[in-house]
Amino acid sequence: MKPLAGVRIADFTLHAAGPFCTHMLSQLGAECIKIESAARPDIFRKPHPVYGRMGPASFDQVASNKLSVRINLKDAKGIALAKKLVGVSDLVCESFRPGVMERLGLGYDEIAALKPSVVMVSVSSSGQSGPDSHFAGYAPLFGAWGALGYLTGYEDGPPIEMRHAMDHSVGMNAAMAAVAAVYRLRQTGRGGHVDISAREVACSLVGEALLFAAAGGEPARIGNDHLRMAPHGVFRTREEDRWLTIAVRTDDEWRRLAKLIDAPHLLSDPRFETEANRHTHRRVLYGEIEHWTMTHEAGEAERKLQAAGIAAHISCNMKDIAHDRHLRERGTVVDVEDTTGRERAALKAPIRFSKSEVGMTRGTPRLGEDEDYVFGELLGLSREDRDVLIDQQVIY
Amino acid sequence: MTDEAAAPPLAGAIAVEISRGVAATHAGRLLCTLGAETVLVEPPQGHPLRREPPLLPPAYEASTLFAFLAAGKKSITCDLTNPAGRVELSALLDEADVLIHDLRPDERVKLDLDEQTLRARYPRLIDVSVLPFGAVGPKADWQAEEINLIHASGEGFLLPNGLAAELFPERPPLKVYGHFAEYQGGVVAALGALSALVGRAQGGAESVDVSIQDAALAVGAFALQRFGDGSLEHRSTRSFKYGGVLECADGYVELLTLEERQWGGLIELMGRPDWMLDPALSDSLERSRRGTEINREVRAWALEQRTADVVARAQALGVPMAKYARPAEVLSDPHEAARHLFQPVEIPGAGRLPVLSTPFHLDGTALPLRAGPPRLGEHQNLLMARRHRERPAIVAEAS
Repeated sequence: MKPLAGVRIADFTLHAAGPFCTHMLSQLGAECIKIESAARPDIFRKPHPVYGRMGPASFDQVASNKLSVRINLKDAKGIALAKKLVGVSDLVCESFRPGVMERLGLGYDEIAALKPSVVMVSVSSSGQSGPDSHFAGYAPLFGAWGALGYLTGYEDGPPIEMRHAMDHSVGMNAAMAAVAAVYRLRQTGRGGHVDISAREVACSLVGEALLFAAAGGEPARIGNDHLRMAPHGVFRTREEDRWLTIAVRTDDEWRRLAKLIDAPHLLSDPRFETEANRHTHRRVLYGEIEHWTMTHEAGEAERKLQAAGIAAHISCNMKDIAHDRHLRERGTVVDVEDTTGRERAALKAPIRFSKSEVGMTRGTPRLGEDEDYVFGELLGLSREDRDVLIDQQVIY
Repeated sequence: MTDEAAAPPLAGAIAVEISRGVAATHAGRLLCTLGAETVLVEPPQGHPLRREPPLLPPAYEASTLFAFLAAGKKSITCDLTNPAGRVELSALLDEADVLIHDLRPDERVKLDLDEQTLRARYPRLIDVSVLPFGAVGPKADWQAEEINLIHASGEGFLLPNGLAAELFPERPPLKVYGHFAEYQGGVVAALGALSALVGRAQGGAESVDVSIQDAALAVGAFALQRFGDGSLEHRSTRSFKYGGVLECADGYVELLTLEERQWGGLIELMGRPDWMLDPALSDSLERSRRGTEINREVRAWALEQRTADVVARAQALGVPMAKYARPAEVLSDPHEAARHLFQPVEIPGAGRLPVLSTPFHLDGTALPLRAGPPRLGEHQNLLMARRHRERPAIVAEAS
C-alpha cells in the first residue's frame, strides 16, 4: 500500500513547479488526473528553443505516473465537466496566474461551496495575495526576488540564476503543505486553500540570512566558503574538470587531514592552529590542500578522506548519478521506459518507508489516454455522452 | 474563504526531535510551524547549532541559524548517554506521533531507538531518519556537510551558469548559498512524516528513511532526464541563450523572455532600437542562434538603467524581470509585508526580530510563528508533566 492511497487529485498544473508537486503526490499513492486540452497542452510536452532544446522536452520527469484527460476549459461545458471531476476529488491543484481559476469559475470559493471537504493547492510566482500577486515569473526570477540569487555567487562576481531546482523546490514545498492539509482533512473533515508563493520558497532557502539582515547584519556572496569551517571548498584533482568537495568540521578532523595529506608542517603553523585562524588564512590553506588533491584522482582522494572520517565527495555529473551504486541500491535512481520504449534513468520520489511502497508504476500518459476510466467509470458518462462532448470540442 | 479561526493542520500532533544537523532541525521546524507541538531534545551542553555563527547582536547569545530553525519549538535537555535520560525520553515518546532524528544506525541501536524497538514500544510512533546519504546503502556511514551534498546531488557541478560562468570559466563549480541541499532534506523529511501520518490510519505506524542527497537530487530531476535524452548538462553550456543576469547602474536584474509576446515587450522596453526590428529576429530559433549578439546589446543597454525603474517598466509591459534583491530589500518589501512572511518573535539576547514563517498560506493567511527559539531546557517541566498525565490532557495542551 502507498501512504496516500485513496487520495484523488484533479490536476490543473502546468510546466514545472506545479506538476512536480503532483508528481510527488502521485508517487506517494495519490491518484493524479492531469487535465489538459489539445488546444492548450502542457508546454512541457513540446520542445523549447529558448532553452536551446530542440528535442524531447523534460516532460516525463514530472508527468509519468499520472492519468491524462482532455477538458477544454474555454468552454462552459468544459468547466461543468471539470467541476464534476472536482466533485470526486480530494485535492485540486493548479498553477495558473492568480485570478485565472476564479475567471474560469473554478476559484477556491466556488469549489469550496461545491465541496467543502476539498483541499485546493495553488502554486504561483508571488502568491495569491499582495501587491505583486499578478507578476509573471520563472525560476531565475523567483531566486532573484527571494535573495537566494543575490546571495549565491563568487565573492567578487555577480549573482547567480536559479534553474529547475528552484521550480522543483517550490513543487516539493507545495507537496509537503498539501499533505499537511490532507492530514487535517482526514482528521477533521475540513478542507482548505494552500497558497504557495515561489519567491517565498526562495526566501525560505535563505531564512537564516534574512534573519541576520533583520538584526542589522549584511549577508553577502561567499562563493564556496563557509562562515565557520576551514578548509571548506571545491578542489581540483588530477583529472580534467573532476572536482572534489571537502569540509573540515573540527580540530580533530583537521589534524587527521594534515596527517593524511602528509603535511605535518601545517600543524605547527600558527596560522592554521585554531578554526578561527584557519578561516582567516583560508586562501593559503586552500592552496595547500589542492597541492595534494591535484596529485590524486578524485575517486581515490574521496575514498581516502572518507576512510579518515573527513566529509568529502566528488562533484557529480548526471552520468555519475545515473550509474551510482548507492543511489541504485536505495532505489533513488531507477530505470524507466520512455514513450518511445527506450530505457533511461529516472528518479523515484526521495522517501523510503519501512512498509509503504513509493514510486512510479506507469510512464507518461498520452494526451487523453485515461478518459475511459475517468469520464466513464468515475464520472459515469456514457459512451454517447462522451461522443457528443467530443463533437462539441468540450473533450478536446 | 478566509477563516482565521481554523486550526493549523497539525494541531494536536506531537513531534519529538533529536537532531544535530540542519536538515533534521529544519524538518522539525516545518512540523512545528504546521501546528505540531515540537519538543527539541538537547544534550546537556545544548544543540550544536546553538553555537553556529553568526550570532545575533547585541548580546551575541543566539545563533542566527538556530534561531531560524528552532523558532516555536520547546526545549528540554536530556542526557541520552545515561539510562535516566533514556527513561525521560521514553516518557516523551509514549505520547508522540513523530520522532524526527539524525542518529546514525549504530547510535540508534545503542540508544534503544532502532526501528524494531521503537515499533514494539511505541506502536503509534512514526520515526523519520534524516541523514546525509540515508540510513541504508553503501554510503550510509559516509560523512558529509552541505558543500559535499550539493555536489553529490549534481546541482553543484551545474553552477554557476549565465554571467558568472562566462566571467570565470576556470573557477571551481559553485555551491548555492547557505543550506540549500539540507533544507531540501528537511522539506522532504517533513513530507515523509506527513505522508506516514496520513497512511498511519490505514496501515499503522512505520519508519521513514530520508537522505539529503536523494532530496537535493530530486529537485534537480530535469538534469537526469536530459541525460536520458542523450545530453550531459554542464555549467558552461546550460545558460539561457540570451537574457539572464544583467548588471544595471545600481545593481543586478534578471531578465527571461520565453514567450513571443515577452520578446515584443522587451523591444518596447528598450525603445525599439533598429537591431531588434530585424525581421529575422522575429523567429525564436534565430534569436536562440544569435543569443550572444543579442546579449551584447542588452547588456550595454542595461548598464544605463536603474533597477527599480526598469523592473517597474518591464513588469508593466509583461516582460519577466526582477531585481536581484538584497536581504534587507526583501525584508522591507511591501509584498512580503502584506503576506506576513516575516513575523516578529522574541530571540534571547537579540530582542524581537522578524523570522520567516513558511512559504505558503493556508486558509488565506500565513501560518503563525508561535514563539522564538527556546532557551536551553526552557520546557524541562514538560517531562514531569508527561510522567503524570494522560494523553488527552497532553493533546489538549498541545493544541
